[in-house]
Amino acid sequence: MKRKLISLFIIAAILIPLGVVQGAETIKIGALYTMTGRGGQYGKDSEVAIKIALDEVNAKGLPGGAKLDVIITDDKNPQYAVSVAKRYITDEKCKFLFGIISTAIGLAVTEVSKEYKIVFVGTDHAGTDLTANKFQKYYFRSANNTFQSMMAGAYYLKDDVKGWKKIAYIGPDYAYGRDQWMELKWGLDKLGVKYEVVGEYWPKLYEPDYTSYITAIMKAAPDILVNGMWGGDTVAFIKQAKPYGLFSKMKYFHVDAGGNYEALAALGADMPAGLIMSARHHNNWPETAANKTYVQKFYKAAGRYPSYAAEGAYVGVHMIAEAIRKVGNANDSDALVKAMEGMKIQCPEDPQGFTSYIDPKTHQIVQIQAIGTTVKNDKFPPAKYMLGNFKTYPAEKLWPNFEYIEYMTKIKGK
Amino acid sequence: MDINTFLAQFISGLSTAMLLFLISSGLTLIFGVVNVLNFAHGSFYLLGTYFAYQIMQLFDNFWIGLLAGAVGAGIVGMIIEVLFLRRIYGRAQEGAFQLLMTFAFILILDDMVKFIWGTEYKTISKPASLVGSFNLGTVMVPVYNVFIIVVGFLVVIFAWYFLTKTDTGKTVRASSLDRIMLGLLGTNVPMIMTVVFGVATAMGGLAGVLAAPLRTVTPGAGVEVIIDSMIVVVIGGFGNFWGALLGAIIIGEVLSFGILWVPELATVLTFIVMIVVLIVKPEGLLAKKAVGRK
Repeated sequence: MKRKLISLFIIAAILIPLGVVQGAETIKIGALYTMTGRGGQYGKDSEVAIKIALDEVNAKGLPGGAKLDVIITDDKNPQYAVSVAKRYITDEKCKFLFGIISTAIGLAVTEVSKEYKIVFVGTDHAGTDLTANKFQKYYFRSANNTFQSMMAGAYYLKDDVKGWKKIAYIGPDYAYGRDQWMELKWGLDKLGVKYEVVGEYWPKLYEPDYTSYITAIMKAAPDILVNGMWGGDTVAFIKQAKPYGLFSKMKYFHVDAGGNYEALAALGADMPAGLIMSARHHNNWPETAANKTYVQKFYKAAGRYPSYAAEGAYVGVHMIAEAIRKVGNANDSDALVKAMEGMKIQCPEDPQGFTSYIDPKTHQIVQIQAIGTTVKNDKFPPAKYMLGNFKTYPAEKLWPNFEYIEYMTKIKGK
Repeated sequence: MDINTFLAQFISGLSTAMLLFLISSGLTLIFGVVNVLNFAHGSFYLLGTYFAYQIMQLFDNFWIGLLAGAVGAGIVGMIIEVLFLRRIYGRAQEGAFQLLMTFAFILILDDMVKFIWGTEYKTISKPASLVGSFNLGTVMVPVYNVFIIVVGFLVVIFAWYFLTKTDTGKTVRASSLDRIMLGLLGTNVPMIMTVVFGVATAMGGLAGVLAAPLRTVTPGAGVEVIIDSMIVVVIGGFGNFWGALLGAIIIGEVLSFGILWVPELATVLTFIVMIVVLIVKPEGLLAKKAVGRK
């Protein structure tokens, strides 16, 4: 009998504290990222950043001792992503949908979010549609859209590049590539810039060989070549164009994703100097303590420097945590939406004196854009060139732009 | 069109064509001799690149990397042929098994690359001797692109000599016509299949390493080249080595001049060419109508 009592006491001693822990709610976020193929690096980097953000958020604490947790699945394609998103909501009881690299998949998943009234925080896909003509109130985005990049680009071309008239564009033949060009031209028109389009080239996404495009562009001889590629396509284009002397014959302008760190790293010493580029996050700008800490934390966790995609995921987790803190729980989506609208959120990419915020009408994060040129800098190996000579463009001049949203809605429909 | 523009587009088309040929020649060789439609051929292109990358980390020499990439891809190809593909030869519905198995290898090899080397882009630099460009009249031509064109033609000459002038080459050609008869005559047909599969996948690996200084070394790159290679093989005629050369040159040049004249149609041009060929000569430009393969 005595032994039985002792055993019961020991079991109770083990179970009681567990019961306390189990009583604390785990709030699940259902994330979808591209984890394989070309976009796989963005998914992997986002995963690292999510873990960093989760550690920070859970250490700071959530109401009722709740913990945040993120489940990540490879998104593969829109149909598959939709089925996973639905499973996240119905089976896994996730309170948030999260992530996604591709705009096509983002557009599919936003419909699930709308149908189930579950908050969806898009962390990477940049298609303007999601916070414009395809806006639905449960969708939020923690990284800038292509319009913000291209509008900043239009200002750069107007104010910081002198004596140009002829412009040509090359970009992948799908919505992301097409939209950037439409947005830049719209921005230039609005700013009253006079220009002549001397060529438009639409290679397929992941085109391995740009040789014939390069010779055709050189024949067209623009003053400015605008490139709308991302990731490996940027790397391949620059590698192939360099021996043709393309970069000495025209100004190269690539401001949504040209300055992505992974492209700078892959090109190493092959990156030409003086290319006009930007990205949604820079490892070397702004030189604030917050950005340096974020980059170093990532490096410590992954053994490499982050691509731009990681910051959107990092910020997204913090946005969700802040909303839960404001509401007190994660069970009321409408209250969470209200909490996120207008939310101020300090991002690693915010320069001194500025805090990013969520535009309450479009749910798009509003941020300062910085455009630079490639300069020698080996502080972030294996990159040998980073962006420097940054020009910044005020956040409120770039978004929201309801005139453009109206224009886009007219062209692309709701 | 002035002569300089013509020359610039022609040379860039030829450079595109030769890389396409180097990839698709292995694909068509496997189909012609081993009778396998190897959907995973692009994965050997990818493996070759990563083997070269790994070796170049140790030796920092492009040529050793090139050799390692081709040999490594060839060895993996032979292992896969012996351990897996050989088991489905001659089965009922062999075609369906081929499709499933080679597709499975696309996924397996791609993930294997990701697990070993990670998802971040890798870089393979050109050898110092092939950096830079020269002027042909007023047309600037990169030395490395000329190197690829030369390698492409060297492979053509070597293949022509091997297949038509050597006994082993004749045996290989015979095995593509009638394996059973060749076996009855005392030839070790399974060995020929394995070696041909190895040589063809090594050519895939070689193409991967040659392309790497111009492209992005990343998981998934193999899948991206397989569709264009398939189109080349369809145009030239399945299993026809010379057809692959002709198909690659047609696609390379049509793309090159198409981009100049009708850039809006660039992404569909190859498909248009394929559709026209399939209507006019469905078996491919250089294929014979009746194929007596057993």
